[in-house]
This record gives sequence, structure tokens and C-alpha cells, in this order.
Amino acid sequence: MFLVKLSLKNLWRHKRRTLITAAIIAWAIFFYITFDSMLIGMNDMVFQNIIDYEYGHVQVANPNYWSEKEELPLENMINNNEKLNQKLREIEGYQDHAPQLNFQVRLNDGVNETPVMGRGIEPDKTFSVLNYEDYIVEGEMFQMGENKTVIGKRLAEIMKLELGDYITLLTRTENDTFNTIDAEISGLINTPNPNINQNIVFVPLDIAQDTLNVDNKVTHYIMRLNTQNFNNSIISNFQSELNDFNSNLSVYSWKDLDEVSITKAKQSGNALILIIVLTIAAIGIINIVILSALERMEEIGMMKALGLKEREIIFSFVLESTWIGLIGGTLGVILGAISVYLMSIYGLDFGAIMNMDISEYGIPIISTIYGGWNIGTFVYMFFFAIFGSMLASILPARWAAKKDPVQAIYRR
Amino acid sequence: MALKPREVINKMSLLKLKDITKIYHQGEINVPALRGINLEIEKSEFTTVFGPSGSGKTTLLNVIGCLDKPTEGDIIFNDNNIADLSKKELSTIRRENIGFVFQSYNLIPVLTAYENVEFAIKILEHLSKNEIHEKVMHILDLVGLADLEDRMPNELSGGQKQRVAIARALVKEPKLVLADEPSANLDSKTSEDVLKVMLKMNDELHTTFLFSTHDPLVMDYAKREIELKDGLITKDERREEVNVFS
Repeated sequence: MFLVKLSLKNLWRHKRRTLITAAIIAWAIFFYITFDSMLIGMNDMVFQNIIDYEYGHVQVANPNYWSEKEELPLENMINNNEKLNQKLREIEGYQDHAPQLNFQVRLNDGVNETPVMGRGIEPDKTFSVLNYEDYIVEGEMFQMGENKTVIGKRLAEIMKLELGDYITLLTRTENDTFNTIDAEISGLINTPNPNINQNIVFVPLDIAQDTLNVDNKVTHYIMRLNTQNFNNSIISNFQSELNDFNSNLSVYSWKDLDEVSITKAKQSGNALILIIVLTIAAIGIINIVILSALERMEEIGMMKALGLKEREIIFSFVLESTWIGLIGGTLGVILGAISVYLMSIYGLDFGAIMNMDISEYGIPIISTIYGGWNIGTFVYMFFFAIFGSMLASILPARWAAKKDPVQAIYRR
Repeated sequence: MALKPREVINKMSLLKLKDITKIYHQGEINVPALRGINLEIEKSEFTTVFGPSGSGKTTLLNVIGCLDKPTEGDIIFNDNNIADLSKKELSTIRRENIGFVFQSYNLIPVLTAYENVEFAIKILEHLSKNEIHEKVMHILDLVGLADLEDRMPNELSGGQKQRVAIARALVKEPKLVLADEPSANLDSKTSEDVLKVMLKMNDELHTTFLFSTHDPLVMDYAKREIELKDGLITKDERREEVNVFS
């Protein structure tokens, strides 16, 4: 107990040094927690954007189509019949679904031409699954059967197109012949998902089917379930029910998307960088223990002369560092909690702060990022500060305790 | 206050040094600090070791205090040869049997006078809180610092600090107290006060004192004078009575 008391009193021997070291630890923890919160917020937003503006909760497609979907093939499509639609409505957790027909298209405005993705949709059904309705910033959504199109606002800016302009969509049919859709731009869409805003041209599903000569076929269905936190068993049940109906159909959860795993991998990478930051805090601890030991060399000698054992001297120094870790950890967690709270309320407009569009870096976000809470990070970082400080001090404390008592007393 | 002359209560041997040699190696050069020292210290003796700088006084005290090991020779402490003991075993002997008083006091600046003394006895770990308190207050009272127990070292004079250091050395009732130039940083009046305290402890507690010095005033207080020159004992004299309390 006496060594505990001594270590506490030693903390205030050099208050400024103790506070600076604790502040370094606090800063590292605050930074980690804030960054982690931002990543969580970013992930949540990315995932929500994917669900709300592009993917839905699950998609149903032919596995052969799915494996080549990036190529936008007009093969292995699904016959959009009422029986299948009825079957989808009976699935556990069902909320809504909508058919989609993705196809390759070149957008021509009479002067310029650019490759984009054509997407045939049924507006009403699509609105029930994806949150497009509120993001048509100019004009309106077309109706089925109309030779009209809705394109992303960003795409319109790039192509210098306006509402009411006519565009030509050049595509290949299922029979590999060329065909075109001449359509008037009836609306411009600007969602929080930049992929929608600059890469996709929406047309009525029936017009797309006619043009592509695919009868009543669609490439896939998008579905919204009652919750996005569905578990694997719901997907398994869904899959087995669907297999009973049509063995050529598979269910794909948004959680299996490549973008989701890439985002998680990015988070791991960032954690590694932040661990390096925390290593700097550990160096601070090592530094303070060595400085303290050098300053207290005569005391260490005196303690050894009195018969204090090496392990007791090590314990005294290690305990002192542990208190610094505790102070730094507590401060860091408090500051981190304030930071996460503020970020969760007010958010962080990265684009405005850094004067850049982070969607250019492949992150489908264009709006403010709101911080997310992860209590595990708080607990982990708090104990990391304490045990990290403790571990970092062991070697220098051992070095101090092993000093020859005569050399220590007389500072030789 | 005049003290009674010390009574000789026990003439049994506490410490015997047999042919003690200590050689320091500085690169390829061997520097002998002690060259075949033979010495016997009896219980409750009040002995000074004097001599010029570099004569081996501090080395002798370090070897006797188990802080340093001799290159050759035997040290019989309390009937046990301790010359070849491990660091850990020497640490235990220091903890239980030896008290130290250093020239620069070596008090812990963040602890009060009371806590600095308490520290030395707390590491023994076999006393209750009340026993520790009684012992610490008793020893502080003996060195005349009972009313300054809550002072921090920076609030004490040099003499008071050295008294705290003496109290710290004595509180665990060691068989031997070693003091390396205890008056070196003190003026003559304060030195005299400190020596009187040490002599009083020797008289009342019968603790054996061995201290190094080259201060003639300190030598006047010693019951036995040992002179060292170039690592050899050149003089060893006992005095029956020391009349310094008037």
C-alpha cells in the first residue's frame, strides 16, 4: 500500500510533465474514438445509401446473371410474371419489391456520347423500395409507356443537358442488334448516392423491354424487408422457399456486396494507422519513466540500500505510469464521448471542410457524415490506455531498478 | 542537555572483515580501493573511519553495508559469512539489519518527515499500523522532530533533514547504522547537533554506528577511530570515554 501511495504522490512531483504525457494519451484516444465514430457513421451512411438508393435489402436474380452482372448481360434474366411476384409477396419479412432491367447504353445528346447504365423501372414500385421520390430535384418521374427519361443531375451537368432536352440512348438488343430510345428528359435526380447521380439513366420498364426485345423479362428484383438487421436465417428461409418455386433464382443480401466488404477492410486499415498514433503515446510513457528514473537515481539507490527489492521498485514506477494511463484514458474517453455526441448531433460535412467530393474516392456519400457510437471502442481504448501505459513502462522501470545501488547513490 | 556516557553493554562481535580486497576495473587498469582489510566491529560501538579522499572510506562502508561485494575476503556479519551471498540475499540483510545515513540525506521529496521514516519500517511488513505509528513517533521524538512530522523535506533545514535520515535509519532498529560523511553538507553547529543525536541513539538504543568522515569535529565524538590510507588501515584506536556532552 505504501508503494501505491508513493506512486500517487510521485505523479505530482512534475505536474506539467505528468499532465503533458496524460494529454498525449488522451489526445490519441480522443482521436481514435472520434475517427472510429466517423468510420462507423460513414459505414452506416454508405450502407444506408446502398440500401435506399441502389440495392434494397435483398435482390433476387439468376446466379448466372449475378456472376456477370457488371457486364450488364441480357442473358439469364427472370420472367416477370404474376406468379413469381405473388411468391415474393409471401416471403417472411416482405415489405415491397420492384423489378429492374439493367442494360448497356450509350447516351448521345446529338454532339457528345458517353457510356452509362440504362435501368428500366416501374416508377410506383421502385418508389416503394428505393427513396427516389424526394430526390427528383427538377421535373418529375415518367409514367410507364412514356418515351421519357430521368437522369442524374451530375450526369446532366457533365453532358450539359437540361430538363426537356431530348437524348438518344443507343443499346444492343437481346438478339445483339442495335436499337435506340429517343426520350425527353422529364426529371433530374440528385440522391445522396453519387453512383445514381452520374452513371444511370432511368427509363420506363416497358419501353426498355420493347427496345431490348426481351418480352416481359427483367434482370433482377430489388426488395425491401421489414428491417435491415435481418439475420442469415431469414435469407436461408427466403432462399429455400424460392428454390421450391424456381431453382434458378437466388437471393443476395446487401451485406454480401463487394462495397460492404471493401468498406469494412478500409476500417481495419485505418485502425492500423491509429494504432501507430497510440504507439506514439507509449513512447511518451517510456520517455517519462526514463526521465523520472534518471532524476530519482539517488532515491532509487537509497531505496535499494534500505532493502527494497527490485520488483518493488519496478512496481512503484509501473504503477506511476498506470496512473498516468488512467488519467489519460479517462480524459480521452470523456473528450471522445463529447466529440462523438457532437458528431452524432451536428455531423461533419467532409466535402465542405476539405473542399472536395469524397465520392471521387469511391465512397458513395455526398452529404454530412454523422458519428456513430461504439461502446466497445470506448471500453477497449480505456483499458488500452491503462494497460498500454503499464506495459510500456515495464522495461524502463526494470532498467532503473537494476541499477547498482552504489552507482545510483553516488550517481556514478 | 547533557547525556550520560555510554555503558558498555555487550562486547560481542557484530562484524568481522578478513583480508578484504576491493579492486575496481577501469578499462584495462585495476584500481585497488581496499587492500587486505582486517577489522572487527563490536556490538554498540560508535566508530569513525577517517582518511583523505580516495583512501577507501566509502568503499569500506559500501562493502560492510552489503551494497558492494568485495573482490576477495570474508565478511562475517552476525556470525554469517555474507561475502558470497546473492544480490537478493544481501538486499534482505540490508532490509532487516542495516540502516544508512547519506551525505545528501536522500529523502523522498514528495513524502513528509513522518512518511520518510515510515517508509523504512513499512517495507518490513510485519508490524501493525499502530505499532508502526508508535515507532515512527518515538524515533522522531528521540531525534527532536516530533513536532515537525508533517513537514515536507523542502520545509526542513539541512540539520533537520539529516535528523530525519537518522530516524529513517534507526526506526527499524537495525544492528548496524552506516553513515557516509553525515556532516559533510552541514555547518559546524548543525554537525555537532546531528552527532549528538547519533551518539544519543547509540547510548539509548545501543545501536552500532560506523561512519566515515574527514571532519575533525566528528572524530572527537568517536569512541573508536580507524584511519585508512590507500586502502589500508593505518590506525585503529579506542577511547574509553568521550566528553562531548557538556
